[in-house]
Amino acid sequence: MKTLRVKVSRFDPQTDTGPTLVEYEVRVHEGARILHVLHAIHDTIDPTLSFRSSCEAGQCGSCAVVADGKPVLACYEEAREGMVIGPLALPVIRDLVVDLVPALNDIPGLVPKQGCQPPSYEEMEAIKPLRSCISCLACLSVCPAVSVIRFAGPTAMRQEMRLALDPRDSVDRVTQAVESGLFTCTSCQACWKVCPKDIRIPGKAIEKLRALAGLKGLTLPRHREVNELIRTTGRSVAPEGPSFLEQVDEVIEPNGEVKGTVGFFVGCMYTMRLPMTPLDAIAVLKRNGIRVIIPKEQICCGSPLIRTGQPDYVRTLQRRNIDAFAFRGIKTVMTMCAGCGSTLKHDYPETIPFRVMDISEVLLEYGIEKPARLNVRATYHDPCHLLRGQGISSGPRELISEVIDLVEMPPVCCGSGGGVRSGVPEEAHALAEKRQEEIKKTGAEWVISSCPFCEFHIAGHTPLPVKNITSVLAEGYREKDRRPHRENQA
Amino acid sequence: MVAEGVVKTHVLVIGSGGAGVRAAIEASRYGSCALVSKTIIGKGGCTTMAEGGYNAVLREQDDCEIHYGDTMKGGAYLNDPALVRILVRESPDRIRDLVEWGAVFDLTPECHIAQRPFGGQRFPRTCYAGDRTGHEIMATLVERLGSTDVECHHEVSIIDLMTGAEGVSGAIGLDRDGEIQVFLADQTVMATGGGTRIFDISTNSTSGTGDGYAIGYRAGADLIDMEQVQFHPTGAVYPYDARGRLVTEAVRGEGGVLKNVLGERFMKQYDPERMELSTRDVVSRSIATEILEGRGTAHGGVNLDVSHLPREVIEARLPVMLEQFMRYGVDIRDVPMEVAPTAHHIMGGLRINPECRTTKAGLLACGEVSGGVHGANRLGGNALAETQVFGKRAGEYAGRSPKREVEVNRSQVAATSALLESFEQGSVSPAVMRDSLKSAMWEGAGIFRTADKLKKTLATIERLQSEQPVSRGRRGLNDCCTLRNMLGTARMIVSCALLREESRGAHVRSDIRQDWDPSSSPYGHTWISVSGMGIEQVVRA
Ligand SMILES: Cc1cc2nc3c(=O)[nH]c(=O)nc-3n(C[C@H](O)[C@H](O)[C@H](O)COP(=O)(O)OP(=O)(O)OC[C@H]3O[C@@H](n4cnc5c(N)ncnc54)[C@H](O)[C@@H]3O)c2cc1C
Ligand code: SF4
Ligand code: SF4
Ligand code: FES
Repeated sequence: MKTLRVKVSRFDPQTDTGPTLVEYEVRVHEGARILHVLHAIHDTIDPTLSFRSSCEAGQCGSCAVVADGKPVLACYEEAREGMVIGPLALPVIRDLVVDLVPALNDIPGLVPKQGCQPPSYEEMEAIKPLRSCISCLACLSVCPAVSVIRFAGPTAMRQEMRLALDPRDSVDRVTQAVESGLFTCTSCQACWKVCPKDIRIPGKAIEKLRALAGLKGLTLPRHREVNELIRTTGRSVAPEGPSFLEQVDEVIEPNGEVKGTVGFFVGCMYTMRLPMTPLDAIAVLKRNGIRVIIPKEQICCGSPLIRTGQPDYVRTLQRRNIDAFAFRGIKTVMTMCAGCGSTLKHDYPETIPFRVMDISEVLLEYGIEKPARLNVRATYHDPCHLLRGQGISSGPRELISEVIDLVEMPPVCCGSGGGVRSGVPEEAHALAEKRQEEIKKTGAEWVISSCPFCEFHIAGHTPLPVKNITSVLAEGYREKDRRPHRENQA
Repeated sequence: MVAEGVVKTHVLVIGSGGAGVRAAIEASRYGSCALVSKTIIGKGGCTTMAEGGYNAVLREQDDCEIHYGDTMKGGAYLNDPALVRILVRESPDRIRDLVEWGAVFDLTPECHIAQRPFGGQRFPRTCYAGDRTGHEIMATLVERLGSTDVECHHEVSIIDLMTGAEGVSGAIGLDRDGEIQVFLADQTVMATGGGTRIFDISTNSTSGTGDGYAIGYRAGADLIDMEQVQFHPTGAVYPYDARGRLVTEAVRGEGGVLKNVLGERFMKQYDPERMELSTRDVVSRSIATEILEGRGTAHGGVNLDVSHLPREVIEARLPVMLEQFMRYGVDIRDVPMEVAPTAHHIMGGLRINPECRTTKAGLLACGEVSGGVHGANRLGGNALAETQVFGKRAGEYAGRSPKREVEVNRSQVAATSALLESFEQGSVSPAVMRDSLKSAMWEGAGIFRTADKLKKTLATIERLQSEQPVSRGRRGLNDCCTLRNMLGTARMIVSCALLREESRGAHVRSDIRQDWDPSSSPYGHTWISVSGMGIEQVVRA
């Protein structure tokens, strides 16, 4: 037995104006899950504590709560000292009990066809990965899209895809999914990352449904335009001046000793629209002994097509990009666009002859020279495709904390991804406004991120300067060079 | 104190597990139907937790007669033969219903529903969806329910059936806020599932508290064979809070082997022919004996090992097991699971006829709350089949029944209110009482029983029944009502265990010597109702 102290959100809408956190100390057994702590509170301290449970074995989806900011199954997650336990971000009925029923009713059901053959082995196997959902609604509770626009939500999309694969179903699932908000998903991956059953809804359901929508001619017009642009120019955005690739040499030697060599996959946004940022990156890499090779024939990674369900041309893009780097014998390809990085890591064939690293990983692997500290408070916006797409969270923080004081805010999508900025601009705008609210709360003077889409989109909604990690480092170095030598050593 | 309005319906179904939802779907074809459940519909009960599979005769080489014979033999011939005939005959059609409604069972590459071997069966006839079969069935049923007009009442717990001169006329429930909700119905279907949560170590969901047995008893219905409680051989043993969690029989079906701490495959001592795939009563007793005699593991279990199976087989066929053990840091692809028996299933229950009618007019029952199908020991895979076969029957016969003049029994509602108020004046924590009951049941009414131990447990139950549980405010009332049901069900189990002076199936009286085997037993069902209890004598020609 051991003693644990936890804080639990208590709220009774009939009597309270808002939730309050109450601390409890209970005796529990080794290995106790959150649910066992809740039972102990209920049984030995306060029998009025409300929470749900049924199977106590991860099978019924009754017990999802938010623990230390993350949705988890209470019966699965081990309880920790000091844990803060609250309800899912859904309408609260009391304490940890939220209203699941309306959303459960929104999950569509199969409408049988008359006298049809049961599915084949292959069809069943295709359906299965989408079938283990226990409807805990953790995914819905974190979906940014549902908070600002009419969207049936991630698990409803999972179910639409599962039904679309089923020959027994008689409904046009694809059209129905489009009507339920298929194109409002920002591909932030939040739903997948909280799913206790690890169901990859964005990749396995939403992108697949979008592709099926494409076959029905339901692709959004703006997304079709992007497709056209990529096919004709190799790029998902049109240039607004000389591109980054036009401004640099193919091989950039570092100052001093060569610590390593990387191939640089720049990505459409940085090369065509925001060339100053990769130029800062080059300055930082040069200073830190990293030789950079920039194949000029690289083109769009394919992400805008994959996310919007237009996969036809992706194979061609992949082949040309792989060749560009493989031909030069490059062993490490560095990305600095979160979306490109995630695409190269997950959507390219496993046989690619190089490893893919985000620039933050590269800089930390080789180590960086200390920049000067600036007297600035800044907050960091986690790009979805870096945080969830690549699991990179502490690296960027470590790097920027060398230069400025970091103030945290919760990691939520800014609304620029998944083709939403172009396809559903009012949603993208609403999400960025919410982001601005959070930024304001931090009292930061700068916003720092690591994705051109996030940086560009947030910049349009905040009066603060929005900077890339490498630009912050570059400023730290410029400041260091400006200051007299002595001061830098202090 | 009575919530707004009385819900009036032709068929009221209590419980939203496999049996209840199937009954509601069927009943809605004939008229109005209301489904009320203690939990959110589809999330409660044990059906969602069922892992291993569903028995149905689907192949040429198999035969309903063999399934019948296996079930009777497994049940130590205490089963009601008419109910078993129905089970084996209708189970294939009911799985076809599920497939038509979208269920995703595992298929063979030839596109037949895949079947795995389960204990006590001469043919591999257990259909499955990995090891989440019950979840698959439940998901399918809830989708189907969505396309009917069934009126759904989530998170309302039934406290008692409403009775009158004409028999059962509905039920009285308690909503989330502790307010009374009255249901008036021509026919009421009890589908509240099982109740092994009255034991310290159990596989059941939090609603497996035996409510339906106790409620049916109080309403005057007959129950049979309540002493027959199945202890599943393989429950988890640690960590403490996960003890009892089911380790599905599919693990043995897929080839898992049982070994004691000396590394011996001890089943060859107990049932050399069927080994690990013997019936559950036999395997449970064997494991319990190994542990009692000191050949158990440090955590008090034996080893169940699948590490010799190909990793892909474990990943594809036992994903839930893999995931659940992984959560506690055990990779079953490499190391054995530690297991010990756990209270799993109540074979006894409300006495029903082939139309699922109980002995009380207006009350039907289906699923685990009913008795007779499984006799003295249930075969793995027969319970899910039972939910579908008898769920459909209950819904159909209730639905087809004529309308009746039913009225709210005001004095009963008033009495219920008074009962609830008395809980608010109570003095003992229901959680403390519950824990005392659970230990007493595990100690005295477990795998090996004697009259002495049973009487001691009965005394504890009686003491607890004389205490007054307390509810702090109305929201704790449900805990008090549930405790009352747990005590009522426990009392029936212990009383019937004392009545049955023989070892039969899951019920073992180690204090009694007998010179008959199950097929020649002089005893039939035990029965219990408000008017008395007894054991039927069999007159053999
Ligand atoms: C872990 C586990 C695994 C199993 N695996 C298998 C298997 O592989 N194959 C097999 O054949 N069998 C299996 N079984 C047995 C089988 O699952 C059950 O016997 C069967 O599902 C019972 O179904 P049911 O509909 O009768 O009850 P349940 O599914 O238990 O549903 C009962 C319902 O009644 C509700 N309820 C209870 N009390 C009240 C009340 N007072 N008021 C209102 N509602 C109430 C509950 O909330 C719930 O919705 C397993 C059982 C367990 C516990
Ligand atoms: S998809 Fe995952 S997170 Fe969403 S409801 Fe299903 S199980 Fe829960
Ligand atoms: S990827 Fe993000 S926006 Fe899309 S469904 Fe999942 S949570 Fe919602
Ligand atoms: S209690 Fe069922 S998933 Fe946690």
